[in-house]
Amino acid sequence: MSAPQLKMGLIDRVAKYSRYLLLLPGFVLLLLFLLIPLSMIVGISFFERFTIAGPETFTLKNYIAFFTSPQMPTILLNTFGMSLLACFISFVLGYPMAYFLVFRVKSARARFFIVSLLLVPFLIDWSVRVVAWLPILGESGIINYALMSLGVIKEPLELLFGRSALLIIWPQTYLLWMIFPSYLALTRIDPDIINAAKVLKAPPHRVFLDVTFRLSLPGVVMGFIFVFVSALGDYITPALWAGGIQTLGLSVANYAANFVWPYAAALSTILVVIALLVLYVLLKVVDIKKLVY
Amino acid sequence: MGKALETKELVKWYGKEVLALNKVTFDVDAGDFFVIIGPSGCGKSTLLKIIAGILDYDSGKLYINGVDMKNVPSYKRDVSMMLENYALFPHMNVFDNVAFGLRMLGKDKSEIEKEVKEALKLVGLAGLEKRMPLELSGGQRQRVALARALVINPSILLLDEPLSHVDYRLQRKLMEDLKEIHRKVGNTFILTTHVQEHALSLADTVMVMNTGVIEQIGKPEEVYNNPATVFAARFVGEINLFSAQIKSWDGELCYLNTEIGELKANPKNKNALPSGDKVAYAVRPERVKIGEEARLCDNKIEAKLVSYYYFGHYMEYVFQAGGNTKIKVSVPTEKVGNLTLGSTYLLGWSAKDALLIEKPCMIEGLDIEEVIYGK
Amino acid sequence: MGWGDRLAKVYIALIILFIYLPVFFMIALSFKSGAKVSFPIEGLTLDWYIKPPTGYEYSAYISIMHDKNFFTALNNSLFVSIVTALLTCLLVTTTALALRKRIVGRDLLFYLFILGFIVPGVALGLGVTFMFRLFGIESSLLAVAAILTVYTVPFGLILMMSRFDPELATYEYAASVLKASPLSVFRRITLPLIIFEVISAAIIGFLLSWGEVIRTQFVMKGTGTLATYIKNELSINPITPKWFAAGTIIAIVAFIGLAIFAYIMSRRVR
Ligand SMILES: Nc1ncnc2c1ncn2[C@@H]1O[C@H](COP(=O)(O)OP(=O)(O)OP(=O)(O)O)[C@@H](O)[C@H]1O
Ligand SMILES: [Mg+2]
Repeated sequence: MSAPQLKMGLIDRVAKYSRYLLLLPGFVLLLLFLLIPLSMIVGISFFERFTIAGPETFTLKNYIAFFTSPQMPTILLNTFGMSLLACFISFVLGYPMAYFLVFRVKSARARFFIVSLLLVPFLIDWSVRVVAWLPILGESGIINYALMSLGVIKEPLELLFGRSALLIIWPQTYLLWMIFPSYLALTRIDPDIINAAKVLKAPPHRVFLDVTFRLSLPGVVMGFIFVFVSALGDYITPALWAGGIQTLGLSVANYAANFVWPYAAALSTILVVIALLVLYVLLKVVDIKKLVY
Repeated sequence: MGKALETKELVKWYGKEVLALNKVTFDVDAGDFFVIIGPSGCGKSTLLKIIAGILDYDSGKLYINGVDMKNVPSYKRDVSMMLENYALFPHMNVFDNVAFGLRMLGKDKSEIEKEVKEALKLVGLAGLEKRMPLELSGGQRQRVALARALVINPSILLLDEPLSHVDYRLQRKLMEDLKEIHRKVGNTFILTTHVQEHALSLADTVMVMNTGVIEQIGKPEEVYNNPATVFAARFVGEINLFSAQIKSWDGELCYLNTEIGELKANPKNKNALPSGDKVAYAVRPERVKIGEEARLCDNKIEAKLVSYYYFGHYMEYVFQAGGNTKIKVSVPTEKVGNLTLGSTYLLGWSAKDALLIEKPCMIEGLDIEEVIYGK
Repeated sequence: MGWGDRLAKVYIALIILFIYLPVFFMIALSFKSGAKVSFPIEGLTLDWYIKPPTGYEYSAYISIMHDKNFFTALNNSLFVSIVTALLTCLLVTTTALALRKRIVGRDLLFYLFILGFIVPGVALGLGVTFMFRLFGIESSLLAVAAILTVYTVPFGLILMMSRFDPELATYEYAASVLKASPLSVFRRITLPLIIFEVISAAIIGFLLSWGEVIRTQFVMKGTGTLATYIKNELSINPITPKWFAAGTIIAIVAFIGLAIFAYIMSRRVR
């Protein structure tokens, strides 16, 4: 082999720094469509007006106005409480699904088939899927119809409007958000670890709690975060299906629709901070990076 | 003879905690069969990976065939390597795995076919071409990896523990084959192992490693007969080691105090050691005589037989003397007498057969006794 | 079969039923003759699918096949989702390959990418609106795809990184020792070993962007994507079985698509 051949060519140089070059496209996207927009809402939330010329007059008024407004507690409670409840419902429904898929469905083909089945409704339009609950849960839907003809109730229940709507629509919309990371976390558990626990005579519920569940926690937490922030950011369901229950997200949309930009920005900032706080607290408890590294 | 490989003060850190290689400097002659032996975690694999170019070093120099390898990507180096965990490509069958390197070199189809067949036959896997790696046993995988590294026929072949997972028979056969291939092709082999038998019987040159440093480099018999450090002595072959202090010299003959009493040694070219120095006193088990034969020896000791191990062609007896000190004695099977457990016998060896080792090991700050008895 | 397996089967069936229940009702009611989306079904008809318009009805009563806006929205949706799928699969692959190595600030970068999902849709939508306003940028379908990619990448990233073979790097090293150039290593080792995840990332990008309303709604003007179009129609006009017909058409196409895809993929699944 002669010496010149041994020099680093262009491709080798690129390969050597590939880990940084590979980050570039993703980072550009993040910068343009995440970091700049985020800093804009934070920035504009501190101004009185946002006109074509740009933001004008620095102020803290927007935040003071929100935290002194009489609706503030209700809004925060609605936002937080409903999103958290949706998380728990999704967890209760979704985790067993992920668990069974990983540990009880033995054939890879069957598992693949079931996951595909779960995905199909996703292609059906979201609004249509929500509306499709009307004939079931609506005022003249079959549940109300059955209950009334049985004489259990006199007036139809408002299942699809008001708070209960959020607790039906959100979990069904975001169920996969919970199943998916839990499933990934469960597949990462070495079956030998579970077998070892069994061999060491741990009773089934201990095996589950101390080994399986604990090891899948990063996925569960990831699922929680996904469902929580999706619900936080959804203003359409509260507006259309929950009779305009005031949530932070809906307020943002309302003020934005009326071009009250800085106030909408302040509310958005609060929303982002809440999301980050929840993320921070959860990360203190569980290291979600375990799911990926 | 030229140098196939030269390293100068190679340093490798993993993070800030682990110093895997600490200024490693050595040369390998072209055409040598070079065996690196050392305990688990001493940095053998790290060293090989650096030579192969799949791991960067932090400082030092590395030359292959005289060319500085800094910034030379691994595929442009004239080496190939069999990795410790085989790394068989899971999406390729045995044939494609072995053929991979040849394809990368741009050889033509018929040639590839021929060479792969040959290599697989050599490692005893003819007929398994179509199997996927997951459908092979651990030892079979190891042999595919070996074949895969062999076919490329580079000027330096790096083999990271190529014999660890095959049965004894196959080990012996592969050892013979490796030696034969090496003789035939004449390229440089660098092999790691932690089995001393492999090191002693395969190597032209042995290098003993200890946590990131080189303990000794030399021909197998050199390392065996003249270990540079206590560590090297312990790691290559069985040996009896006693912590000792030099009492006095009588010409060539050295008198020492040890835990089992006064012992004599007649060490070659170690006359300069002053009295009062702490050294390790060593004697190989096959040099120790039992009973009648022992009476004529310079060193004599009464010891109780506490256990024995049968190795087929020889027997290893373990005696206990001076309280808790164990002494191993190996005797060829045909010379084994009738010894009874629990009885006391006279052991003896000549002063010429004793070794004095003044250096515990190449790592600074370790005491001789620490190395002999462990911490 | 133990009781555990039986329980698992029943449970999985129930969840699938829960997800599919509204779909069944949707399909059934799309053939209903009256305008109300409730039982009883007075008569069966294909009117909601193919009845030619008279030219005088409200949009809610125009059959789906004759709703021009529906097809515009469908086109927009397909464009946005396909671009998002491609972007997602590209960015997820590059980022995942970079993040698996030990690099400076790896954790920070990982969280930054996850942030794309964490920032509530309405906030990000607003931020992008501001950005466009301030820099005088016109919104476009491509911009929508980019915004949706920020949202889909974290999902794909988690999927790909958590499924990476821990030995992947070793295989790459082995290949380069066996004389493969960086390009060959990628083409013959890396890509074949992660192709399943790469395709999955594209599918995730497609599915998530297809259903996304909040971000799209904020940035998109005009007819919008299918999701925003139908949502807007439903919020201002009466709810008629027309939309169930639309859903049914999409469901059928989706089923066929997924069946083909599942067939192809199931031959690869071990
Ligand atoms: N990727 C890594 N990160 C951190 N430390 C490492 C890494 N790889 C190896 N080490 C450490 O470096 C030291 C040398 O490792 P190396 O694999 O070279 O040992 P070895 O001599 O090949 O051992 P064995 O005989 O068990 O294969 C060990 O202490 C090991 O724990
Ligand atoms: Mg090793």
